[in-house]
Amino acid sequence: MAKKRAIGGIAGIFLDEATTIKAATRVREAGFTKFDALTPYPVHGMEEACGIKRSPIPYVTFAAGCVGLLAGLALTYYTSAVDWAINIGGKPMFSLPAFVPIMFELTVLFAALSSVGAFFYLSGIPRVDPPIIDKDITCHKFAIFIPENDVGYSADRAEKLLKDLGAVEIKKMAEY
Amino acid sequence: MDSSNHSHELKLNKFEAPQQLKTAIFAAMFIGFLGLAYGLFKAPDRLWTSYLVSFFFFACLGLGGMFFISFNHVAGAGWSVSIRRIAESFTSFLPAMFIGSVILILGFKYLYPWADPSQAHRLTGGKALYLAPWFVTLRLVIFGIGCLIFKKIMVGNSIKQDQNGDHALTHKNVGFSVGFIAFFAIFFTLFSIDLLMSLLPSWYSTIYGIYAFAGMIQSTMAVLALMIIWLKNSKWVSGYITVEHQHDVGKYMKGFTIFWAYIAFSQFMLIWYANIPEETEFYLMRSHSGWLGVSVALLVFRFAVPFLALLPRDAKRNDMNLAAVSILVLVMQYVDLYWLVYPNFFDGIPQFGFLEISIFVGFAGVFLKLMTGFMTKNNLVAIKDPRMHEALNHHVTY
Repeated sequence: MAKKRAIGGIAGIFLDEATTIKAATRVREAGFTKFDALTPYPVHGMEEACGIKRSPIPYVTFAAGCVGLLAGLALTYYTSAVDWAINIGGKPMFSLPAFVPIMFELTVLFAALSSVGAFFYLSGIPRVDPPIIDKDITCHKFAIFIPENDVGYSADRAEKLLKDLGAVEIKKMAEY
Repeated sequence: MDSSNHSHELKLNKFEAPQQLKTAIFAAMFIGFLGLAYGLFKAPDRLWTSYLVSFFFFACLGLGGMFFISFNHVAGAGWSVSIRRIAESFTSFLPAMFIGSVILILGFKYLYPWADPSQAHRLTGGKALYLAPWFVTLRLVIFGIGCLIFKKIMVGNSIKQDQNGDHALTHKNVGFSVGFIAFFAIFFTLFSIDLLMSLLPSWYSTIYGIYAFAGMIQSTMAVLALMIIWLKNSKWVSGYITVEHQHDVGKYMKGFTIFWAYIAFSQFMLIWYANIPEETEFYLMRSHSGWLGVSVALLVFRFAVPFLALLPRDAKRNDMNLAAVSILVLVMQYVDLYWLVYPNFFDGIPQFGFLEISIFVGFAGVFLKLMTGFMTKNNLVAIKDPRMHEALNHHVTY
């Protein structure tokens, strides 16, 4: 999710996948909602463990696809039947079958580009200076980060919870 | 993978068809027999058109089962091994398909202009040779026997593996799958051309085989989805077949819904655009009076409705919704084949009645009889497949 403002918090470093999933489940059960899990590779079941809702991107794709379809129809209709209509095939000026390929292509184009745009926006990309919790998170370590603006947050409580769940190291982050 | 996310209890019992189903199958076969007897004596023309549509419909399901297991073997797919046995059970219809195509030879003279010597002048050159009755029969027999051989080997290997757990059988099946797909690509194209396209020998479309294939695979996925919904939490099996498999089969069905529309439109648009009389014949027959409605219904109910109804993620994970769309797809597969066959015989007036229903129901009875027989005789899941752990941990991410 896009985070415009620097927010501090507590990060716990874990050494294996199973502990991280269990820890994420427990952190969610403890009432935290804005925490994040950072892993070196996609972990199956992590979405459920963290309680992450589905991404809104599919709705953007669908809406943009519908807009693209109508845009394709409008473009072909205007250029073939309204402005400077030239009959070269003996067909009616407004011939839907001839327009379908263009409508289809614009549907795909709008849907695809909007999805990428929505994905960039929601992920906060491009961000040139991401804070680094631990450089080994991209390699072999796992982390759970609880931001300080989370529900019922206190530094001591978060630290104790993560330690109890098997974190080998606790890091206080000034910003994330 | 932490197993706590997928803590299914695995259960696998011997399948036994419920008594009501057995009675229904028997009744269906009896109705089919009545229809056959009535049609043979009273209305042989209608009987054979009805027979052709229903025969092709169920042949497609048997072939679709073979094709599904083949492309999963070739791709080395792990997620689908726990539902592979269901697809294998569809292939038990292939012996009936062979017998059915031999029976169809009796109906050649009612169906095909090329089987009627007085129509011979409509065929010239290579077409006359290609559509010589002996040559068509030869292709039908090669296709039927070839499919039976591949089925015997590939499904046989799979069942053998249930006993001995030999991994080499999985590797062997990859080679046979490649062979089957090559054989199938050529002979299914010829099969659809011989049985359906040659009803109007003066017309041809080079995309016809793919069109028939698109409907075949889409309807197979619909039956597979229905079987998964029925079996996944039944008293015979649980844990092996999950909503994740249902979801992916639903995705296949949606994918091939789009594929069908793509192929159907590609065929239509080129013919419409070029507007050459010898090509437009096919669409002219289907674009006036009664047949126009059927053509539009195909566009709406075979593409638009299933496409939108399968689009959301939850639509594929919801049993009621997926079952409803699957049934719609199967109905439209029948309508599609009907639309390919009937306008050649009934100009402007769609005919539908007892003969169509009874023959279809009879074929459905034979199909279910053979399928449930296969399921009773063998395990419902290929339990010793080396990739089973992948299927059990299959998880569709969001």
